[in-house]
Amino acid sequence: MSDKVRDRLSGLAWVLAIFLAIAAVWEAAVKFFGVPLFILPPIEDVVTEFFSSPALFLRNAAFTVATAVGGFAIALIVGLLLSVMIVSSRLLERIFMTLLAVMHSIPKVALAPLFVIWLGTGFEPKLAIAAMMAVLVVVVDTVAGMRSVDPEMLNLARVAHASPLSVLLKIRFPAALPQIFAAMKAAISLSVVGAIVGEYVGGQSGLGYVIIVAQGSFDTPRAFAAVLLLSIIATALFYLVVWAESLFIPWHVSQRPRATG
Amino acid sequence: MAGVLSPEVQDRKASEKAADVHISVRNVEKVYRSQRGSVVALENVSLDVAKGEFVSILGPSGCGKSTLLKCIAGLEPLSGGEIFVSRQRVAEPPKDLGVVFQRDILFDWRTVLDNVLVTVEFLGLKRRGYEARARSLLTTYGLAGYENRYPWELSGGQRQRVAICRAMVHDPQFLLMDEPFGALDALTRDELNLELQNRWFADRKTIIFITHGIAEAVFLSDRVIVMGRNPGRIIADVKIDLPRPRGVALRDTPAFTAYTGRMRAIMDDANAGITHAGVLS
Repeated sequence: MSDKVRDRLSGLAWVLAIFLAIAAVWEAAVKFFGVPLFILPPIEDVVTEFFSSPALFLRNAAFTVATAVGGFAIALIVGLLLSVMIVSSRLLERIFMTLLAVMHSIPKVALAPLFVIWLGTGFEPKLAIAAMMAVLVVVVDTVAGMRSVDPEMLNLARVAHASPLSVLLKIRFPAALPQIFAAMKAAISLSVVGAIVGEYVGGQSGLGYVIIVAQGSFDTPRAFAAVLLLSIIATALFYLVVWAESLFIPWHVSQRPRATG
Repeated sequence: MAGVLSPEVQDRKASEKAADVHISVRNVEKVYRSQRGSVVALENVSLDVAKGEFVSILGPSGCGKSTLLKCIAGLEPLSGGEIFVSRQRVAEPPKDLGVVFQRDILFDWRTVLDNVLVTVEFLGLKRRGYEARARSLLTTYGLAGYENRYPWELSGGQRQRVAICRAMVHDPQFLLMDEPFGALDALTRDELNLELQNRWFADRKTIIFITHGIAEAVFLSDRVIVMGRNPGRIIADVKIDLPRPRGVALRDTPAFTAYTGRMRAIMDDANAGITHAGVLS
């Protein structure tokens, strides 16, 4: 077994162990303090709830995953394009950075109802909210990464008469990849939040919708089952990005095999 | 002192007359202006380098030698004067130039071979035509078998060797080297000096080599140009008349130590404020 595989397995083991520890504390607390079911159900009720209608949970989970991943992808593509424009022109930098700062200062959750008016109650408004939640962190980190390129590297390119495109593709972009992946880790979590917010305010699908409906009928076990599923999904998505990082930037300090002994 | 220096002045005059001048620096001034005032980095710097000549520019830190190199490379605009490379006035980096910087600045995300070939890619040339040359350069520099390694797997000396291969892969006729071995340990430095010297002897590129190491400058060069600081200027131009190819043992010969001693004296005098007016005239 290679060190990398062992590292990854032990990472997975840690996640599982922490999940189990939380479950144990939860179960013990509910039993010990005699918490009523509608406040905090014991964990076995939550699990039973999931298995009572797995199709419903999985269908809605799929919708949420599609929204979150789609919003994340849009945020990544738009964010990278904006970053390239910002890095290549002072004027565009002024315009976009100001716009993004203004956009960032608006609580995106407050805009969610407007998106329903603009885009309806289908998939699109949820996608838009998820993307909006995640795009800023991509831009800020990517711009910082592309800017912090070693000036001597750029001199090297100038001496060889490198074109602006090849400076971008062969120096700025790869140099910024570690920051881009850091941004992606934040962005994937934010886009899950955006997806749920979108589902809260309109439409009839997604785990956010399941939670809102369960709340209306004080069906706490159902709400918890949705939340639990959501946290498993968010964790999985996060580790998917971590895995992609190890594939794409094996050369970065953070990815090199750790020295032992 | 004037008696010691006059032959050097004659040497300089002679090299100026040479028909095959590759690089010509004419009365170059470089002033950095900031809110806190202006700093004269280079004052009236003139020198000629012949085709195939190995010239070192020796000086203490802050004497403007790296600035001069950046000016010759077309990376810094001049405040005054002119620089010509192959009779072309330098306004942007000259064609047919390779540069080795003090730090290796290898691209972490590229393998050793891809790092060497990046120059070819930047120049817009076909990689395929240069791959064999890149591999053979790496082999001459003792890096056969390392082609597919990443820079972080190499030692400091190996990394700088890759940087040298990268500067030479497109077979430029002119190399600028900015204290390329300054960050290396003494043993590795000696090793690389020997390699560079052999390599130069084999293909006779024009090389301008920036250093603050006296022994290194004497060992490698046909001519050593000594610079002083405040303001950055040339204070001596010494022809090194030692046989080639040079070996490590040369360093212990009286002829070699006589040169290093003289360099040391020139630099110490400059620090003490004695100007070598005769050289500048």
